[in-house]
Amino acid sequence: MCTLAGIAILLLTPEAQAIPAFARKYNVNCTVCHTAPPVLNSFGQRFLENGYQLPGTEDGGTIGKKQLGDLTLDDVTNYLAFRMVGNAVRSWSFKQQNPPGADRGVAENKTELTFPESFVLFTGGTLTKNVGFMVELGHDVEGGGSDVERGFVTFNNIGFHNLAHVRVGRFDPNAFYSYATVRQQLGEVGESASTCAAFSPCTLNRAGLAPSAFAAKFYGLYQRDGTAISPFAASLFNSGGETGVDVHGRPFGDWFLYQVGIVNGANEGFGDSNKGKDFYGMVRFDHAKSHNFSANLSGFVYLGRSNAKVQSQDDVNWNRYGLSARATYKMVDLYAALAVDKINETPVAVAGNFDSTATGFTIGADTYVTDKTLLSVRYDNLDGGGMLDQRTSSTFVGTQVKHFLRTNVALFARNDFNVRKAEGGDAAARNLRYAFFSGIDVIF
Amino acid sequence: MRSRIFLSVLLILAGGSSLVFAFKPEDNQATSESGRLIYEQSCIFCHGADGKGDGPAGWFIGRYSAPHPRNFTSEGFKLRSTVSGSLPTDQDLFRTVTQGIPGYMPPFSGLAEEERWQVVAYLKSFNPAFKEEKREPLTIGYPPFPSSDEAIETGRNVYLTYGCVNCHGLNGKGDGKESLEDNLKDARGLRIQAADLTAPTSFKNGATARDLYRSMMTGLDGTPMPSYANQFPGKDIEAWGLVYYILSLSAERKP
Repeated sequence: MCTLAGIAILLLTPEAQAIPAFARKYNVNCTVCHTAPPVLNSFGQRFLENGYQLPGTEDGGTIGKKQLGDLTLDDVTNYLAFRMVGNAVRSWSFKQQNPPGADRGVAENKTELTFPESFVLFTGGTLTKNVGFMVELGHDVEGGGSDVERGFVTFNNIGFHNLAHVRVGRFDPNAFYSYATVRQQLGEVGESASTCAAFSPCTLNRAGLAPSAFAAKFYGLYQRDGTAISPFAASLFNSGGETGVDVHGRPFGDWFLYQVGIVNGANEGFGDSNKGKDFYGMVRFDHAKSHNFSANLSGFVYLGRSNAKVQSQDDVNWNRYGLSARATYKMVDLYAALAVDKINETPVAVAGNFDSTATGFTIGADTYVTDKTLLSVRYDNLDGGGMLDQRTSSTFVGTQVKHFLRTNVALFARNDFNVRKAEGGDAAARNLRYAFFSGIDVIF
Repeated sequence: MRSRIFLSVLLILAGGSSLVFAFKPEDNQATSESGRLIYEQSCIFCHGADGKGDGPAGWFIGRYSAPHPRNFTSEGFKLRSTVSGSLPTDQDLFRTVTQGIPGYMPPFSGLAEEERWQVVAYLKSFNPAFKEEKREPLTIGYPPFPSSDEAIETGRNVYLTYGCVNCHGLNGKGDGKESLEDNLKDARGLRIQAADLTAPTSFKNGATARDLYRSMMTGLDGTPMPSYANQFPGKDIEAWGLVYYILSLSAERKP
């Protein structure tokens, strides 16, 4: 039997970062690579793709070997950076279901004073010509755990410039997608879950707030060890970190990017418990030339092989197909993603009580209204799949205002509305009335 | 190879920097075409396909304020060694590509020297005036005397007398009256801040004594920083005194 933590109040999950180490290294402001950190502009995207080398270059950035005694603090800070992000105030309103059915309808209206609770230390850059690396160590104070969010090595420009870049290790598969999971203005907020046994229905008290296109979407889906998979958590191609190898490049010019990869599988920690490996492929079409305008369109296929189980403990292949688009004009950044999740060959044991298809749609926009103030809005719709007696669809609208005191210090206030709360019901997707956060985001 | 090394050594001994012409390819169509390929991988995202400074990433650099990426087709150039109103020399362009602009453009020293010259050849193709105009650098000599308390005091008096204080402020932090009142605009009408003279690593046109002297004499076209070339003929003591005074303001200055 496996038991989840009691009430697991997850917070703003550590996510990929703006990397001020790179800004220090090249003596430029964050805005050279970011529309608004951590979201990349077209130049920053090409820098990322090129393994943390400036677009068009292959020099590795820092040249020369120094004796230990000649190292300066600058040499160290060019590779190290830190981010602290989280809330000073958070406020929830939802009806609790803990345990399932027992306390049905218990209202939770709570406002808490807290402090920035998520810390990320990351080191990255280039080791030599066309060899780069990135390690992100995240710590969540309330969750109590530290983890390597991502840790990988890149080998770049294999063959000829931009033909093939290889990543090996634990990385975010959709780093080059039009809408990247770990580069959002309205970050993921975890759900509140009840204790539940392995391969048993697991009641959520409160929905998580993540882009629905990236979410797992299925109710009654489990990891191979029996741990319930949250329908709201980012997964598969859109997970924050999977272990494997992938290759990307732009062999025909800037207009086209390809990416293929093989990873251990969805929701795998260190090691591999899956029977098979997961495969994915992504293509992206870009227009980024002039008139202060850029646009891109991406599509991917992610094929899971025995990467999840259903309640009957039968293996299933969990696949995802997605489209994403982004358009940027001057200070306005529009993005959208649609994903269809499909369970191939529903096991007989759950057939008739299982919807094998789920979809998620997310559309959002960010815009600067002044040099220092960023407004963001996001709409999410999740048509849940999985066990019919558990699944619930949800629609949320999130808004955020973020004010940058400096380019690397920002205050934010965010409010998420549950558009479907009036439909009633006790499922988490109905229970959540509102969620308000106000906090600080510091990167150094 | 030997002759190249010998030539480089000669140039360095002659007072040249690492930014030498040793590998400068012939300025022809083939060179420009090679430069285009590099430009479209490295520069297009800010400067745009037509060199108009309207690349998709450009707006985010300064947002609603200056600087925005250079429009190579028509605008004046800030970073030059030529008289105000003139186009920059090839060497000026090469220097900017190589060193970047602190805060706003990374140094592209990772490109081979020949590649940087090819980029220079290509970006000149955006503006026909590069072919027509004779671009002569001002003569920037070496400091005729070392810094001293007396020279710095002279420079401070010049700083106050010539109105530098109005934009750069009494302590050089870029907080002069004109700056605080948001009266400073660039040629595009975007709000621009006066340079913080206490932070030389942020100086766009370089932070050595000669760089500062050059900025004073050429001005930064397209910004409120004028050329002072006509104010200082025969006034080396005042001009270099001002340079030393600005250097003395630096919080980053080594003891």
